[in-house]
Amino acid sequence: MENQPGKLGIREYSAIAIFMTSSKLTDDTVALIYNQLQNASWMLPLVSGGIFFVPLFLLLKTLTLYKNKNLFTVVQQILGKHIGFIVCLLIFVISSTALSFDSRAYVNIIRSFYFTTTPTIILYAILMSVCAYGARKGIQHIGSVSWLLFFYSIGAIILALFLCLKDSILQSIFPIWGSGKLEILKQSSLKTSIFADFFLFTLLIPYLTSMKDFRKGTWISYAFSMILISGAFMIYIVLFDTSVAGLGYPFHTAIRFISIGNFLSNVETLFFPIWLTATFIRFSAFLYLCALMFGHLLKIKDFEFLIPSLATVYLLIGIIPDTPFDVSLVIRSKIVNVAGLLFASISMIVWLTAWLKGEFKHEKNKNSM
Amino acid sequence: MKKTKIVCKSLLFLATVFLLSGCWDRKELEDRAYVIGLGLDHSKAEDKIKVTMLIGNPEVGSVQGGGGSTEKPREILSFDANDFLSAKSTANVVISRQISYDLLKIIVVSEELAKDPKFVTWIYDALRDREIRLNAHLAVSKEKPSDYFQNSHPKMETRPHKYFDYMIEHGIDNGLIPDSTLFRFFKTTNRGTDLFLAMYTTAKKGKNPEIKSEDEYTAGQLNATGEIDHTQFIGSAVFKDGVMIDKLNGQETRLVNILDDTTEIREILATYKDPFPDNQKVAVRIMKTENNRVEMNLKGPKPKIHITLPVQFEILTNPSRTDYAKSKKNQEILKKSLIDQTETLYEYLFKKTQTELKGAPYPLSIYSRKYFGTIEEFKKFNWVKSYPEADITVKADIQIIDYGKVSKTPKGKGKAS
Repeated sequence: MENQPGKLGIREYSAIAIFMTSSKLTDDTVALIYNQLQNASWMLPLVSGGIFFVPLFLLLKTLTLYKNKNLFTVVQQILGKHIGFIVCLLIFVISSTALSFDSRAYVNIIRSFYFTTTPTIILYAILMSVCAYGARKGIQHIGSVSWLLFFYSIGAIILALFLCLKDSILQSIFPIWGSGKLEILKQSSLKTSIFADFFLFTLLIPYLTSMKDFRKGTWISYAFSMILISGAFMIYIVLFDTSVAGLGYPFHTAIRFISIGNFLSNVETLFFPIWLTATFIRFSAFLYLCALMFGHLLKIKDFEFLIPSLATVYLLIGIIPDTPFDVSLVIRSKIVNVAGLLFASISMIVWLTAWLKGEFKHEKNKNSM
Repeated sequence: MKKTKIVCKSLLFLATVFLLSGCWDRKELEDRAYVIGLGLDHSKAEDKIKVTMLIGNPEVGSVQGGGGSTEKPREILSFDANDFLSAKSTANVVISRQISYDLLKIIVVSEELAKDPKFVTWIYDALRDREIRLNAHLAVSKEKPSDYFQNSHPKMETRPHKYFDYMIEHGIDNGLIPDSTLFRFFKTTNRGTDLFLAMYTTAKKGKNPEIKSEDEYTAGQLNATGEIDHTQFIGSAVFKDGVMIDKLNGQETRLVNILDDTTEIREILATYKDPFPDNQKVAVRIMKTENNRVEMNLKGPKPKIHITLPVQFEILTNPSRTDYAKSKKNQEILKKSLIDQTETLYEYLFKKTQTELKGAPYPLSIYSRKYFGTIEEFKKFNWVKSYPEADITVKADIQIIDYGKVSKTPKGKGKAS
């Protein structure tokens, strides 16, 4: 391990994490939420972030016991060989479906807003091959690219959101509780999958310089994404008011609408390439994580060679639904509900088992000796 | 060695394929006809609309110096279609280039069609189209849009996109037309609690127009003569739930624009009665730098709404030759009079919206939402029903920031004795 050219530092790791979670503000997540919560949708990222904090905290606490081991190793160690394998397989299957349909959703965005006549399969193939290339380069490369582009992308997103404020009525966020406090709580606990990526990041622990960096990076990017996503949702609501309900992708509708002064209109040509690079980073990292899981499950050491073939499989799954409606309203809304709950409960189970087994006491004894 | 060669070659091939796939969606400027204005009207056939397209010629005026094109700056065609999206391909029967709505500036709807309840279904197609931007403006024309576009012949700005750009921008700056973007139209119609104002326009001057105060006209009533084009943009058409129900003249539109915090007004020039003898009118410039303060009490049987309107006035003329520089008292009298006049105007405006229009002509309902905890409570309150019964008071918070450049006008000259 020592002769490896470099590990992920806290900066690179946080940048990847923020790219992966925050890109949700640009896709159809808002549309999934808005139907239930209306103008209180902006609270959901904050509340569900708070809810998901508990299992994530417990998971990280458990993982600290096992120095520099990734999630799958620890799960198999704690839950035993067979149950551990099944649990890991479940995580892999869920992430794989999420990856397939998420990428399809992004292809739908590209097709409906920017490249309207290019066939879906061509766009999809290009997206997947670029991401496969990125993932094949390894997580260190993805990390440095994310850190390089981090400030540009975040700057661009914040600029876009800021420009939206010109045509907004801030009072639109009222009535403050939207469709009711109970509904917010209910939906927030269902939609914790916004932060489910953080659960998967625990697979990257061995690639980080230290466990301390990992924990610090996780919490920094967790809080950052929470605020950014919630802020973006709030801006969509003050800009579009009740019209958010009919918009599949508010971010892209918004950047087509805004202009910088009167002379610089059609600014989506500026934001689209930046968004596209962010998308590449997101799916490269996601693809890498899935390949890592697959490699671990089947004990394949050089799992990086699997990435192109896995990407092809995901493409073939993602292309199955016929229309964008099927993808976002039928399939993705289900995955979103399942993934968050499942990952949260796995974290809890892992921690509970470790606690019952007395692993924490063990650690204490070791420390006191 | 041979292997590397093959790999290199195939990589080069792949790279080319990747780069070239971007050409799938290529659009040649030469090959496209940009629709700047779109007219919608009733068709003789049932369930169809008459679509009029005003196509700009990008070549005209773009070449500086010699070599300019001698082609006409625009092309207009009208035909019947099912909707204005499929009309794009029908238009190709006569137009050689591919029709694009990318640069659409204005959608002009005839008054007749705007009053048809079915209008909403047609205009909502604009939301589905991939090219139409939501910052295109919606306008209502007195005559048929096909006649409107043909009669509108700007003398100086012959390029239609520039003409409509400037016309709309300055009309909004002056406050005489509302900022009626499609974005606001859909937002207001989806919300369903308030009225939407669309700009009112015509290219035909009315017969024997009356002479009125500077802003009391609607389109077509201003008797402008000279070597000009007769297109007029003033006043607004009122839409309720996406259907036109009434018209407002320039003055009422301007009052609404001053009230509406989301419209950017810049250069409103108006006249007010001079409180000092002679009974003439003072010209003022109105500016708004702060947002309104809106207080509501929605608990009782009759909702109470109190709006404080902070505006700044700049006095431009002084027909009664009153000395404002030395006398604080005169300043006070003028201010009081301006406040009274403004408040009377707003009282009249709100009365009209409550009795005739039965809705607020700007997003007032949004300001009431903070008094409710949940959407359910707000729905129960029923804004649409409560608004006509509400007790609305407007307090004009006027600040006079300038009394004119010249403090003294020479006395005795030209004064009627």
